[in-house]
Amino acid sequence: MIIALIILVVIVLVGIGFYNSLIGKKNQVNNAFSAIDVMLKKRFDLLPNLIETVKQYMNYEEGLLGKIVELRTKATTANISNEEKLDIDRQLSTSVKGLMVTVENYPDLKANNSFINLQTTWTESEEQIAAARRTYNASVTDYNNAIMMFPGSIFAGMMNYQPINLLANTEEERKNISAKELFNN
Amino acid sequence: MDSVLADLENQRKEVSALKIKSYLCIAIGILTIVAGIASGTFAIAGAVIGGIMLITGFVLWSKTNAKFYQYRHSFKQGVIPLVLKTIDESLEMDYTNGLSEKEFICSQLFSKEPDRYRSEDQVSGIAGKTSFSFSELHAEYKTVTQTKNGRQEHWHTILKGIVFYADFNKNFNGVTIVRPKDMGAALGAWISKAMPIFNSSDRTPVRLENPEFEKEFATYSTDQVEARYILTPAMMERLCELNKRCSYTISLSFIGSCVFIAFPLNKDYFEPPVYKSILTSGFLNEDTEVIRFMYGIIKDLDLNTRIWTKN
Repeated sequence: MIIALIILVVIVLVGIGFYNSLIGKKNQVNNAFSAIDVMLKKRFDLLPNLIETVKQYMNYEEGLLGKIVELRTKATTANISNEEKLDIDRQLSTSVKGLMVTVENYPDLKANNSFINLQTTWTESEEQIAAARRTYNASVTDYNNAIMMFPGSIFAGMMNYQPINLLANTEEERKNISAKELFNN
Repeated sequence: MDSVLADLENQRKEVSALKIKSYLCIAIGILTIVAGIASGTFAIAGAVIGGIMLITGFVLWSKTNAKFYQYRHSFKQGVIPLVLKTIDESLEMDYTNGLSEKEFICSQLFSKEPDRYRSEDQVSGIAGKTSFSFSELHAEYKTVTQTKNGRQEHWHTILKGIVFYADFNKNFNGVTIVRPKDMGAALGAWISKAMPIFNSSDRTPVRLENPEFEKEFATYSTDQVEARYILTPAMMERLCELNKRCSYTISLSFIGSCVFIAFPLNKDYFEPPVYKSILTSGFLNEDTEVIRFMYGIIKDLDLNTRIWTKN
């Protein structure tokens, strides 16, 4: 009787452990995404200054600047999903990279101190977002492993936890930036 | 350089001759005393002559030490700076100072704090935009065991080798530690991940994507995102390459926007030879190689790329 009771207590404790661990991992995924969100907000906040600085020198790139302004407005809209936000960020990243390539044609702008500061801050934000995305992917892998492996899979089934997709680089991101292509958009 | 070495060679010969004389006197003194006692009849004569020889030996030995320090000083002040200047004009050596014990503890390279610490031969300079320095050090901790003969102290080495320190090319606020992956580190990482309740430190294990890096190192950080901001895929590759060129696995810490790297080594560098001529070609090769290696870390880790907000 006592042995059966001990076994039952052990099973209940292990069950609680797995349940809490799965909840912890799921929360970790959400937490990791919120880190990306914070980085994205920091990056979107850089754009108005960047546009203002660049506008004074670039007279012939209105199409490119207009596209960046439009994307930034979309990104700061209240009701957009996480996936949409990441998609806008991808497009913004490509457009700003194009802008940085175009700057080569404007030596005065290239030497402007505020522009240099904005450029370095932008590069830093790129690295920070990349780091946040890798952290998110590590959390997702941890979570997916936990819900797919036995006995976590049993609890995950009961809790209706589904695997989450990793954030992968799109084909567009893997390509080298081409200024010509950007101008033709 | 040649005239400096020729002058130093004379000093070396003097030190070497004195050392040999002092050892000979001590050896003859001991032998005379032992022979006198063994013969029985010449015990007093043996003790007197042997005693005189021993005293002469010790006097010579103390003279040798003074001469040796003078020779060592000339070597470190005269030869090493010349070697440094052939690599980079900015390089300087302070052979009396090294990484302070406080800096060593603050670097958090090792979890144990030293009970006995010695550091010297600090080389510092600027490579491109990055200031750096490195020092030789020996840090040990003590354990005490109670035996039937009383208390016994045991000294264990934390690190004997070189600690390299450089200004990192990115700003960061937290602490990220990269240590060799041994059984203890692997078990510690597993426990603090599986049972966070047992993790008293604010550092958590960081799982990274590079399998080779993960096989060699265990990473801990106070900030998971910041750890990946520092340890980019390219940086992990570079660290693996750097580690491959070392006999023992290196340890790293990223703290206060600086990087510390510990290189365990078996040899003492920047020390002049006593019994080998310094005029033989290549006697400075090992010292030069270690300076070049340390200087090259800035390039190897690409620390001069300052495209981020830190300039």
